[in-house]
Amino acid sequence: MATPAVRAHDVEVGYGAAPVCPPVSFTLEPGRAVALVGANGSGKSTVLKTVLGLLPTLAGTVEVLGRPVDEREADFRRQVAAVLDDDAYFPALTVAEHLYLTARGHGVLDAREHVADLLEEFGLADHAQALPVALSSGQRRRLLLAAGFARPRSLLVLDEPEQRLDRRMRTRLAERLRAETAAGGAVLLATHDPDLVLEVCDEAVHVDERAVEVVPAGEAAARIARVVL
Amino acid sequence: MTAVQAYPVGTVPAARSIRRFTARAPRGRGEGRLGALLGDLYTALVSVAVSAGVGLGAVQQLRVALPPPPEVPPPVGLSLPVVVAVLLVGAAGALLSLAGRLGPVGAGGAEAVWWLTLPVERRGLLRPAAARLPVLAAPAAAVLVTLLSAGLLGHTGAGLLRAALVAALGAAAVVLAAALVQSAGLPRRATALTGDLLMVAAPVGAAVLALSGAAPSTLPVPGWAVVVAVALVVAALAAVLDARLGRLPARTVRDSGSVAAQALGAVVSLDSRELGRALAGAVLRPGRRWSSRLRTVRGPATALVTADLVLLRRSTRHLVQLGVAVLVPVLVTVVPQLASPVGVLVAVLVAGAAAASAAADGARWAQMAPVLDRSLPLRHTTVRRLRMVVPGLVALGWSAVTLGAVALWSEGPLLDWLVLAVASAPVWAAAAVRAAYRPAPEWGGRLVITEAGALPLGALAVLSKGPDLVALCLLPLWVAIGVAAVTTPVVTAQVVLSAVAVLVASSTHEKGWFERSLEGEQRGRPAAGGAGGAA
Repeated sequence: MATPAVRAHDVEVGYGAAPVCPPVSFTLEPGRAVALVGANGSGKSTVLKTVLGLLPTLAGTVEVLGRPVDEREADFRRQVAAVLDDDAYFPALTVAEHLYLTARGHGVLDAREHVADLLEEFGLADHAQALPVALSSGQRRRLLLAAGFARPRSLLVLDEPEQRLDRRMRTRLAERLRAETAAGGAVLLATHDPDLVLEVCDEAVHVDERAVEVVPAGEAAARIARVVL
Repeated sequence: MTAVQAYPVGTVPAARSIRRFTARAPRGRGEGRLGALLGDLYTALVSVAVSAGVGLGAVQQLRVALPPPPEVPPPVGLSLPVVVAVLLVGAAGALLSLAGRLGPVGAGGAEAVWWLTLPVERRGLLRPAAARLPVLAAPAAAVLVTLLSAGLLGHTGAGLLRAALVAALGAAAVVLAAALVQSAGLPRRATALTGDLLMVAAPVGAAVLALSGAAPSTLPVPGWAVVVAVALVVAALAAVLDARLGRLPARTVRDSGSVAAQALGAVVSLDSRELGRALAGAVLRPGRRWSSRLRTVRGPATALVTADLVLLRRSTRHLVQLGVAVLVPVLVTVVPQLASPVGVLVAVLVAGAAAASAAADGARWAQMAPVLDRSLPLRHTTVRRLRMVVPGLVALGWSAVTLGAVALWSEGPLLDWLVLAVASAPVWAAAAVRAAYRPAPEWGGRLVITEAGALPLGALAVLSKGPDLVALCLLPLWVAIGVAAVTTPVVTAQVVLSAVAVLVASSTHEKGWFERSLEGEQRGRPAAGGAGGAA
């Protein structure tokens, strides 16, 4: 049996000593996708940050790729790619240079060719030589997403990847994520998009201030739709 | 576990090549040329040299102007060398507090997002960040000690050089020690709190020495052995820190980098309020804290005053600032060589501004988020006046202690000085609130060309809000200290000027009366001219 990409057992997450939601338990196997769904402020992003080692666990255990989370290990960073809600860029580096930095920093040999493909795929080819300050917020979001795919990875963690994307790009992202799981990668994402849950995910963790439960993707999408509508 | 990789992967590059790529890529497009870099370096070096020269000249002039030490030391008093030692201990505390709040090893913004996620050696990525603060602190400390040692204590030659070297190395050691604490996973607020306590300990220790009469009259000049010993300590600390850099968690490095970026932005834009917010936010306890019961709240007015009081009570940094502000002028009055009218006046001026400012944090936060003031069913001017209550109470207590000490120094009637303290306290509060609510500096305003360069009038006009009240509305207090006596006309004038200060600080207009009149006149002129022309 393959080692789970993520195994969380009764994990309490939060800032300081106060947990932001009830204990979270779920398992994400390779080649599958799990969504974290729930209202704003329910703790989805906090769970993601804990899985990435950017926040310590308050209780319980999290294992990523069979080992306790430790983002200080180079191997952890080599295998786990994350696209969070960061909006920070080197002001003097172009779009292409940001992607090249990521690809080469992970040892990709044909980095320039790889970057050219990603620029095309994420609709940034016309902005390859642009500085981040000249991009719209949607274009900057696409740059961050492209960086997540510019490097090798076993686990891809995304925090609301649908934000600031138009319908066409959301569809393309869903296709990309399906390809990711088909290639054996694992995807963990927090989202408010019921379509993304339905199209990409196998199951979902519904995070709520009263309870956390693992539900089928269809049920999670229906719950999101009820809140949205 | 299957790794998803569309392209072949080789070895991961060294951290240095990542740093070089980030720095060199813009240069390839003609940005950040070497000439510009050398130009900036030249300007910085010349500015530092000129500033140090001017500072040294000023302090030496001060030394010439200072009276010689008394042949028979007073029973309660401090010598100048002890004052210098106290200043240095306080400066070390300030440096430790600052280093704790800034990290001191940080990588914020782009570096955190694009560098720290790479599987390259983290130690190599963070090395420049770890060296930055010690390298900045060392020359600053050397300059400070050179000024104090040469200017106030008369040290020269090799002794002065050794003192400066020990100061530079000591400052680097303080910052490196703070970085080691960070690398051990201890919270930054512990380091900051230690620095704050050291800052308070300096004047408290001085007060104890003054009262006990056990203060030494000279300071030893460090020998070369001390220089070598401190250098070895610095080398050891740097080596241990370098070995630990790779184990620094991304979250602490990100947090520190974020605070440093906010603080740097505040310094560049000359916004002391934003700097205070950055340094205060750096050591906030994460998560929730027990809510205050706010028992004194009876309505909107008491709610506002209570909130300001709670804010002051919870801010260790401002309580420390207050404690130091109380002790400094008291100590100056018992140092024979500093206790001249000018020395006492400067001490009262600086400490008074610091004390009132410490209590005006509520106003500063309200300026950043105007909704706080608008949410209360009170007139804007009433809100401003209520914001003066806590700074006013603090200024009253501070003035009573300080002017009590001034009364002893001037050998005048204590009651007269206490009456003047009550009369002048509102000005400090008004100035603190006026400074807190000042708008952001207007850099796009008119420039005045001077021999020293262009002066942005808009920015200067904004920065003068607050200090202008201290300078003008406390004139009676300055006169009283200058002549070392309090008279009825002085107190009367102070009462009138305090009322004026409160009125001015209550105004919610961003521009002063004169500026508004001028603008109104300018708006009216073209219309009148146009009408005349048409006629």
